[in-house]
Amino acid sequence: MTNLWSHKGAEGMGYAQPAPLLHEDDLPLASGLLRSSLPRWPRLSEPEMVRHYTGLSRKNFGIDTGFYPLGSCTMKHNPRVNEVIAQMPGICDVHPHQPEHHLQGLLSIFHEMQHMLSVCAGMDEVTLQPVAGAQGEFTAVRCIQEYFRHRGEAQRTRIVVPDSAHGTNPASAAMAGFEIVEVPSTTDGRIDLDALEAVLDDTIAAMMITNPNTLGLFETDIAAAAELVHGVGGQMYYDGANFNAIIGRTSPGLMGFDAVHYNLHKTFSQPHGGGGPGSGPIGVKSHLAPFLPGPVVDVRAPRDGEKAVDDGRWYVWREPEHSIGKVQQWHGNAGAVVRCWAFYRRYGRELRTMTEHAVLNANYLRHAIHREAKEAGVDHLFVDGAVTDVAKHEFTLSMLPAKEATGVTAMDIAKGLLDRGYMAPTVYFPLVVPECLMIEPTETEAKSTLDAFAKDFVAVVGADADTLHAAPITTPVRRVDEVYAARNLCVRVPDEEL
Amino acid sequence: MVDQLPNRGLEAEMLEAMGLNSIDDLFSDVPVHVRMTEDLPLRAPQTEEEIIADARRLLGANVPLGSMSSFVGAGLYRNHVPAAVFQLVTRGEFLTAYTPYQAEVSQGMLQAMWEFQTLISELVGLPVANLSVYDGSSAAAEALTCAVRVHGRKASQSGVVYVSELVPPDRQSVIHNYTQGGGIEVRPLRHTSEGLVDLEALHEAAGACAVYVEQPNPLGLLDAGLLGMKDVLGEHTALIVGVNPVSLGLYEAPGHYGADIVVGEGQPFGSPMTGGGPIYGFFACDTAYMRQMPGRIVGRTVDVDGDTAYCLTLSTREQHIRRHRATSNLCTNETLIALMGAMHMSLLGPEGLRTLAVRNAAALEAVKRALGGIDGLRPVHAGGVHFNEFAVALPASAAACIRDLEADGVLPGFDLGRWSPERSNQLLIAATDQTSQRDIDRLASALAAWCARQGVAA
Repeated sequence: MTNLWSHKGAEGMGYAQPAPLLHEDDLPLASGLLRSSLPRWPRLSEPEMVRHYTGLSRKNFGIDTGFYPLGSCTMKHNPRVNEVIAQMPGICDVHPHQPEHHLQGLLSIFHEMQHMLSVCAGMDEVTLQPVAGAQGEFTAVRCIQEYFRHRGEAQRTRIVVPDSAHGTNPASAAMAGFEIVEVPSTTDGRIDLDALEAVLDDTIAAMMITNPNTLGLFETDIAAAAELVHGVGGQMYYDGANFNAIIGRTSPGLMGFDAVHYNLHKTFSQPHGGGGPGSGPIGVKSHLAPFLPGPVVDVRAPRDGEKAVDDGRWYVWREPEHSIGKVQQWHGNAGAVVRCWAFYRRYGRELRTMTEHAVLNANYLRHAIHREAKEAGVDHLFVDGAVTDVAKHEFTLSMLPAKEATGVTAMDIAKGLLDRGYMAPTVYFPLVVPECLMIEPTETEAKSTLDAFAKDFVAVVGADADTLHAAPITTPVRRVDEVYAARNLCVRVPDEEL
Repeated sequence: MVDQLPNRGLEAEMLEAMGLNSIDDLFSDVPVHVRMTEDLPLRAPQTEEEIIADARRLLGANVPLGSMSSFVGAGLYRNHVPAAVFQLVTRGEFLTAYTPYQAEVSQGMLQAMWEFQTLISELVGLPVANLSVYDGSSAAAEALTCAVRVHGRKASQSGVVYVSELVPPDRQSVIHNYTQGGGIEVRPLRHTSEGLVDLEALHEAAGACAVYVEQPNPLGLLDAGLLGMKDVLGEHTALIVGVNPVSLGLYEAPGHYGADIVVGEGQPFGSPMTGGGPIYGFFACDTAYMRQMPGRIVGRTVDVDGDTAYCLTLSTREQHIRRHRATSNLCTNETLIALMGAMHMSLLGPEGLRTLAVRNAAALEAVKRALGGIDGLRPVHAGGVHFNEFAVALPASAAACIRDLEADGVLPGFDLGRWSPERSNQLLIAATDQTSQRDIDRLASALAAWCARQGVAA
């Protein structure tokens, strides 16, 4: 197996650089601190480097490669013009410490995004600073924490999280210093209002919840839950991971939420890059706005000599009055915000149509899978994760019947799908569905792709157990031993191989 | 019309297949009282051509640093990212992948990140590195909470950490937000008037859970005092060093002088400044900290045939498994930008890294010499050795200087008054491998003329 260190270039191999402005011998260096030996980095030429990474890319699966129904992750097509725009010098080659009048175009984009995100979520103010969904969650609970400290309600040290929530919710709240109160969900993952009411008192700061829930079902009792939480003086926090399901049809504001985070890398198609970057802005109602991280972008009339980029509008940074300070040292992932601005411009008010097609595709695929399974006589091998007439942007299936009948697990099905050229759905989440597969097609998949996937899914379900236990066989490596990795930790190239 | 929806025009057919009549039927579960009934009050959709035109107009109104002679740094630095990096990183298989949960079809990114971990490990002189955190600030903050988890029981100052008082307020603020929840007390680590760690004051910090310092420090000073710090602090106090990675082509890796955790802004390798993000932070540590570190880590393993393979490992630290007991809430990170870093580092090679560091040091020395004869300018730490930047005291406010020199096409540096009011007459002047002699000549002549004018005004 080759890696970067397999290339054994001569000393000095690498890209040529211009001569230093002064000769090295002429420089005052910190003599006591000089490096004793250079890092053992590889030495390779550009031709070798390009082939190395091209080779690696061919062992990687992206949305561009094929259908990517990874539930909860909203793996939609990434429009390419967004990448072209993000390479323009007006974003690439700007420094966050430049004065406002150097950055009017960027601030205009920030202001437009703050506005658009507020409108879509029914919130009053937005900050674009958090750089990931989890950082957005953390930022929002910090704002809620300072809000209560400011009001003299520092006794509110607990946050309610449903047991079906994404793991980042409790992790983010705990990082901010909150105690987590986990409440059980009903069997379809929905809020259990009685269980919720039982834990509510004046020590509760907030409830964190996503809607549609992690089973892809709309929380029909959401307004009632909000009323209960508000009734004891708590705040409602909306995890925006599933925002793609509701834009233009309802909003966290209408449901009674006080704060929300957005995953721009899901809903607004910042390419996920194999794990990041992301962008996780938050929106809040006006009572929480003074606590947002600063600065946010405001607009005023231009003064003498100010050359406005938009007629009559001059953009300025503003520090919220009781700001919690910063969660990222600069202005967040500005490059991601610019890409998502380009994505937004593509849809405008038709973001609602985007959502409708996401939900249409999810429901269509769910029906197609059931129909094909019935025709093929394998419909006894899986059941819906939750009984429902309609799902939202994603749905769950439980492979428990298959496991009991033939020993085939959800993971086996996932690996079987890899052999058919698909990315696997999310497996074993949410935990309330045994042997769970969570499927989210997104709005950018063609009907023909959904039809083909339904047929292939059913074919995999109907395959014999031995074939599935042995899957995948067509991938760059076969089933990977994660236990071996944990027991024989090797997290870098060992010395003897350098 | 939006051109990104393949099933436009097929809605009726798809609905019929499900026995539904309208799109509204798909939202029948949304209670009437929370439904949005009006169209979103937003603009109409645009075509690609219109979006490009607006992007050109808006982003074209920004002032890219390449259009000026710029000396602003203060944590982010102009660099050259080799062309091959951009060409390769936009390959769809990298760009449009999610976190590599399905290892069998994610071997490319997993191997690339395992190689990245090795490059960082070698660079900083520590055995373990993760595959990136958001930025240098959250890396520093996560390092502090990690150290408290490791040393909280045995440290004599349980729950106390010391952070260099020179760390800029924005970074201090990030550290505060990350540490306050754990009840961690952050105390300032004092520096001498020469801008170096006060080694007398350092004794107070022995027995705390951690000490965080930067090398070079935020005023660009290299501090040989760090070499003896671990001996003073002892085994139950983590020495955390934030580094400028380019400087490690010339200067000692902190892991070789006792640092337990090394963090930093990876940006100079692989990433343009991009208005401050996306960039990436790196995080490396000694094995004693490995099981308490944040973020994702790739391990080498085997597949069922015994062939080499890679997968995410040590996952039981992470939020999706440990939930509120996780070492961090980190989920989405900066993998793609770290990949750009790995590509850049692999093209540099060891000697190229050293050359790059020499170019940076030479550019700064050239600036110092050019400004040396200007009346009214005074280096704040004349006896110090700097990397990438140094502070100068001006005859009037730095804000005024920056404003006035714009007419000369010069951005002379960062106004240190934004970090502390008593430094409002000081500029932090940065030079990198992208600084040309012409830039330096323009800076020197503009500053000389400006200082002369201040003298006349006084």
